[in-house]
Amino acid sequence: MNPVTYDAIKLTLGVLATVGLYTVLYRENKFYRFWEHVFLGLAAGWASVTLWTETLKENWWDAMLGKSVEQGVSTGEPGYWIYAVMLPLGVLGYFVYSKKHSWIAKIPIGIILGLWSGQQIQIWWQTYGPQMKASMLPVVPTTWESLTRPAMNGLTPEQMASVTANIYPSQAIGNILAIITVICVLTYFLFSFELKNKVVSSMSLTGRYLLMIGFGAIFGSTVMMRFSLLIDRMYFITIEWFDALKLLIG
Amino acid sequence: MAQVQNEKTLGEKLLSIPRGVLFFILVLATAIPLRCKVTIPNNPAENSANLYRILMSIPEGSTVLVQSDWTNSTRGESRGQFDALLRILMRRNIKFAVLSVGDPQAPQVAKDVVDAINRERAEKGERQYRRWEDWLSLGLFPNAEGTGNGIALNMSNTFATKEESDASGMKRKVMLSPVFQGVESVADIAAYIIVTGTKSSQIAIERLNNKVTMLALVTGVMGPETLTYYASGQLKGMSAGLKGVYDLETMMESGLNVTGSPNQVPAVPGEYPGFPGQTNLAKGTQYILTLHSAIFLLIAAVVIGNIGVILSRKKGQS
Repeated sequence: MNPVTYDAIKLTLGVLATVGLYTVLYRENKFYRFWEHVFLGLAAGWASVTLWTETLKENWWDAMLGKSVEQGVSTGEPGYWIYAVMLPLGVLGYFVYSKKHSWIAKIPIGIILGLWSGQQIQIWWQTYGPQMKASMLPVVPTTWESLTRPAMNGLTPEQMASVTANIYPSQAIGNILAIITVICVLTYFLFSFELKNKVVSSMSLTGRYLLMIGFGAIFGSTVMMRFSLLIDRMYFITIEWFDALKLLIG
Repeated sequence: MAQVQNEKTLGEKLLSIPRGVLFFILVLATAIPLRCKVTIPNNPAENSANLYRILMSIPEGSTVLVQSDWTNSTRGESRGQFDALLRILMRRNIKFAVLSVGDPQAPQVAKDVVDAINRERAEKGERQYRRWEDWLSLGLFPNAEGTGNGIALNMSNTFATKEESDASGMKRKVMLSPVFQGVESVADIAAYIIVTGTKSSQIAIERLNNKVTMLALVTGVMGPETLTYYASGQLKGMSAGLKGVYDLETMMESGLNVTGSPNQVPAVPGEYPGFPGQTNLAKGTQYILTLHSAIFLLIAAVVIGNIGVILSRKKGQS
């Protein structure tokens, strides 16, 4: 098939799928259901094939069987039959579908959970250790030359290093706000006992409001992302597809 | 009398705009600005600037690992980020290996984009990036946690079973490729760059942040929580959402901290030139005006809805 015609057909199907999936915003309908099932089928099929071609074949099957020498194709490789142990171990997971023997499925799940749990102590520290350290911010300005941190444009490397090393008053204020936020939000999560002290309960309330502000910012960012996805679909339909049709028509 | 009861007040009218009308306006608000050539002024965010600074500081000929976990479901943001990243890497002759730990579609999507950028370079008479020599597709690693641990502990062993065809067509182990020449552990990698729309970036950061320079290009949804890792120094640079794409494209066009002409050579330390005259302003620049238009529509809809509620309440009180 002519590549231009192929592209036009491919993109037209993409446009139909896009419009079909968006029709659910108006109301539930069969056109939407059709494309939803097409999408699910394709995704499931793709995932199955990819898992074999990209992962299991190279990492397990080929490693287990090894490779013979083929002139210009392969230099050969020994097989590691110990990899065969993986198959029965993995198959045990499918006993979850048996009412009588479903307990057997807990063996591979237990191994995975054990491996995962064992990692968590180190992972927890690697995740939150640097974040806790980064929360301890300097709150005293080291210079009063300028209220805010100067722009870096046009500065020499030495001047840039000096600007970066100093804490300007506006940065100190920002750091104080950050520390107050951390303490107030942590206070909000003191659920184990009743907060009778007025100072602590006020901090808890402040923490709640600060969390709300944070959630608002996250929601705003999420809305922007959703719009970006819609904009890309509109680009696909009004520019990519139209251009493909123009090429087809000549 | 019945006619009077059925007549809607202005407040009720504002609150009962049909959904179809709102969707139609949204379609217009997102389709029309895509055709407009208006440049929105931009001041790149600090996190984007640091991302660009590090990408421009990587020595030519070095190798980076790119963890590409995005698919077409986040194409609106991730495609622009991935395009910009590949353009920078290829223009700076930095070798890269792409792996995916998230979605099974991700490896193919990444390969398609590398091919597209290569076609763009071929049309301009620039050197194409050759697989095996300049870049590798390491494929899908379905367990993000295990893969992260593997890379942290023994990268060569993690990729030991992966093969690619060399220039002669012979299938060989990827660790023998020129891409991994002189690379024995993850510490020998110039940077570990994650492009994702999911939490896969966090799983990698948790396992690798103290071993290699980490950079992330994430979607707007993941931006706020990933910013925590940037603020704590676990990520050295990051681009979030469409603004992040626009930031990167702006810096690719005009450079960073460049006081004179954007193409002044050699740049002094602290100044990172752009790539003037090349394809820099792409998806981010095309979409950012439309994003403003859609957000303006959203704000207008919220204002109209609130006016409707206030008018309806006043009518109810009277």
